[in-house]
Amino acid sequence: MAALLEVKNLTVRYEPRLHRPLDAVRDVSFTIEEGGFVGLIGESGSGKSTLGDALLRLTTRPGRIAAGEILFDGHDLTAMTEDELRPYRWRDIATVFQSSMNALNPVVRVEDQFRDAIELHSPLRGGAVRERVRELFDMVMIEHRFIRAYPHELSGGMRQRVNLALALANHPRFVLLDEPTTGLDVVVQRSILDAVRTLQRQQGFSVLFISHDMGTVLELSDRILVMYAGKIVEEHTSADLLRRPLHPYSKGLMGSYGDPRAETVRLTYVPGRPPDLALELTGCPFAPRCPEAIGVCVESAPELLPLGDARVACHVAHAASEPGAVQPPRRFAGPEFVKTAEETREARDHDVLLQLENVSRHYRVRSNLRFITTAAVESASFELRRGAVTALVGQSGSGKSTLAKLITGVEGPTSGAITFHSDGGPLDVGSMRARQLRQYRRQVQMVFQDPYSSLNPTKTLRYILSRPLRNYHGLRGDALSRSIEQLLEKVALTPVSRYLNRYPHELSGGQRQRVVIARALAADPKLIVADEPISSLDVSIRAEILELLHGLVADDGVTILYITHDLLSARMIADQIVVLKDGRVVETGDALDVIQHPQDDYTRLLLDAIPNPFETAAATPPARAVTPAPAG
Amino acid sequence: MRYFLRRIGFFLATLWAAVTLNFIIPRLQPGDPAEIMYKKLAGKDAELDPAKIQALRVMLGDPAGASIWDQYWNYFGALGRGEFGVSYTYFPYDVTAVIGKALPWTVILVGITLILSFLIGTVLGAFAAWRRNSRFDSVVTLGSTFIGTLPAFWLALLILFLLGYVLGWFPTSGGYDSSMPGWNLDFIADAAYHSFLPAAVLMIVGPIGWILGMRNTMIMNLGEDYVRLARAKGVPDRQIALRYAARNALLPSVTGLALALGSLLGGQILIEQVFDYPGVGRLMGQAISNKDYPLLQALLLFTIVGVLLANLIADMIYGILDPRARKASS
Repeated sequence: MAALLEVKNLTVRYEPRLHRPLDAVRDVSFTIEEGGFVGLIGESGSGKSTLGDALLRLTTRPGRIAAGEILFDGHDLTAMTEDELRPYRWRDIATVFQSSMNALNPVVRVEDQFRDAIELHSPLRGGAVRERVRELFDMVMIEHRFIRAYPHELSGGMRQRVNLALALANHPRFVLLDEPTTGLDVVVQRSILDAVRTLQRQQGFSVLFISHDMGTVLELSDRILVMYAGKIVEEHTSADLLRRPLHPYSKGLMGSYGDPRAETVRLTYVPGRPPDLALELTGCPFAPRCPEAIGVCVESAPELLPLGDARVACHVAHAASEPGAVQPPRRFAGPEFVKTAEETREARDHDVLLQLENVSRHYRVRSNLRFITTAAVESASFELRRGAVTALVGQSGSGKSTLAKLITGVEGPTSGAITFHSDGGPLDVGSMRARQLRQYRRQVQMVFQDPYSSLNPTKTLRYILSRPLRNYHGLRGDALSRSIEQLLEKVALTPVSRYLNRYPHELSGGQRQRVVIARALAADPKLIVADEPISSLDVSIRAEILELLHGLVADDGVTILYITHDLLSARMIADQIVVLKDGRVVETGDALDVIQHPQDDYTRLLLDAIPNPFETAAATPPARAVTPAPAG
Repeated sequence: MRYFLRRIGFFLATLWAAVTLNFIIPRLQPGDPAEIMYKKLAGKDAELDPAKIQALRVMLGDPAGASIWDQYWNYFGALGRGEFGVSYTYFPYDVTAVIGKALPWTVILVGITLILSFLIGTVLGAFAAWRRNSRFDSVVTLGSTFIGTLPAFWLALLILFLLGYVLGWFPTSGGYDSSMPGWNLDFIADAAYHSFLPAAVLMIVGPIGWILGMRNTMIMNLGEDYVRLARAKGVPDRQIALRYAARNALLPSVTGLALALGSLLGGQILIEQVFDYPGVGRLMGQAISNKDYPLLQALLLFTIVGVLLANLIADMIYGILDPRARKASS
């Protein structure tokens, strides 16, 4: 098929006044054929969104397209004036932005925002526009009464459907999807992605789908571009990328996506962080993090060259394609997180640490002048075993956070009993008073979702870690310093001397989450309640934190309550899974069991929402027509 | 609709509370408020004249011996009839007449300059944001920040000195002189000539807040996703600037305008004093220096009602402009 969009040697440069200039997108070339569905993956800061903005010609200062061409149907978009470009906008090229609140103008009715888009680019007027809007609403399955609504009257999922309908208003030939479902509930996410794929098949528009969510990209796209440090490092069909990735970075990304149905969980992660693009780069930008790097990698940067029906920028991969060459490993050869079914079986026999019996928590909410009682948690019963990981899985509003508050003693239950089996005998958490609570909280520590906001930005790591040590153990002087160093070692922030006097902003997201965990460990807790500890981290390093938590369980016998909306990540680390819906526990069981033989419909719904590229990969033949862009 | 009814309910409740406080506060002072007031006015050692004290009581709505509830009712009755007592400064005129004479001067001067300042400031601010970092933006932003640091009364004195005394182009005090007050061309021209200097000062200082406020909110709005989406839609620049960015950036400014209109009834004390302009601000200055309690109390009540009314209007306008506000509180 003919190329609809052809990007040639595109470079996007940022020139901020106060910092060194940097190229966020460097010499990128690729094509998207008519009707193609192409994925673009990479960790945050890899230049994905910058590339997307450039394709839409939305790059704003201090950024600019510094070199290269974007040919749409043979016409160079980069050379056009805004007026020449306008006819292409939304008629040929449309977009769905990240699923934030704000893609729709909050003070304008939804209908008028469609009217804008339609009247600007088509001869339709008046009643014909209204008719078209109805058609579009039918297409994304939203009731017509919402046509006259304001954006805030729609739920998050509906808004994103409306955005999708809006993008398709003028039968575009190319649609850019920039993380269209990030931040939405898994079930909602699934329904939107299904709609995208169906509509794309029906209407035949081309798609560039940008996301950091490996699973959905792999499942939806025909072909995938992997981006690292502003460059495309591999281009491959989805099925083959999953089965035999060529670039070590792709291997790392693929390895970080586990198959939930496997007996033994194996996840790899890519330690380190991407290079600073403002500095001069020599050699392969991935070399410092690459387990396969050889001498030439640090000397010269590899070019993106065809290899079979793929393209890859890697010296090692190309060398391996020579006849008789040694084959590099299929999987990422770096560190790995492994969890066996054996561990789960053992954990079943451990003593109970915390027990919830018919725990309910009701809130009285004032609505105008009446009080309404709502049940955030309703007769929940489950147990946490010592040295085991229990995952509490549920969508937003299912009562996860309320349960966390009850377990940490922040709030008391309305009815039911929470019993903590400490070394000194059972304690009733619900009835504790201030002094006992202080003792209790020493044994139960929280790890929060966002490592960016849970660390004081003005304090050094030494100070941050010294606080709980002083408070809980009364340590001073040398003993305090020694303990701080031990904590940093435990979370593998070594050499310790390099980290002690750093501030949180100098660390990567993964390192910060390590500090948060170290701080929780300072109190020497028996139980750690981790609320979505990896969901704000890049996929490539999530397993790193899972490995750290797993180590605490295996080596120190810490018990973990892992709270998440993501059944997949729950499966990866947990021994036991508790599924929560509308405040009620709908299913409890061994993690693998729950995944393989779900009992409750709701669990099945959550399970179906997990993208399953493994199945898709198995169903498609390995080789597929690809049109690699002309090199150079 | 519910949103608007709720707002009106809040307004009535707050108004009642404010008026009641105005009634209670003088009565919370230890001793007989009338006696204290009398002593303050006549000197500590003066003989108490029962008749005068009675007069003061009547002024406070407190005929001797009436119960606190009766006093409260009488006070409301007096308010309803617009009776605030007699002004000490302008004896024997009553307070209502004195304020009534000053009010049009202030409303016209401050009202017109305020609305003009708002319009000019908002347009300049929006344009500066749209052409961010251009020369126009730098001049406007730096200029307003600089002028904003100068105290308004100092600017007033400077202008009065230069244009009034040194060059002698404009009269230095008063609201009119040669003509008879009334709705005739002569008088209006005379009044406009006299108001030129205070109006000029208000027009220099006035737009600054609107410029900076509008510019900053609009820059924030220009970064929002819906503006990016509008660009991607191919919406012409003019429309992006007006319908998307400015429309949303206007919301806080409109609230600010309504609130500013509320303080209008209090006048511009310093500016009116400097130009000896016969408005409410000068009246308030006089009431303070002459310890003219009835006048002060009435002015206070006026200001309170003005601010509350303005708040109500601001809420109403906000409810119309921003559909989210209607939902949030219903």
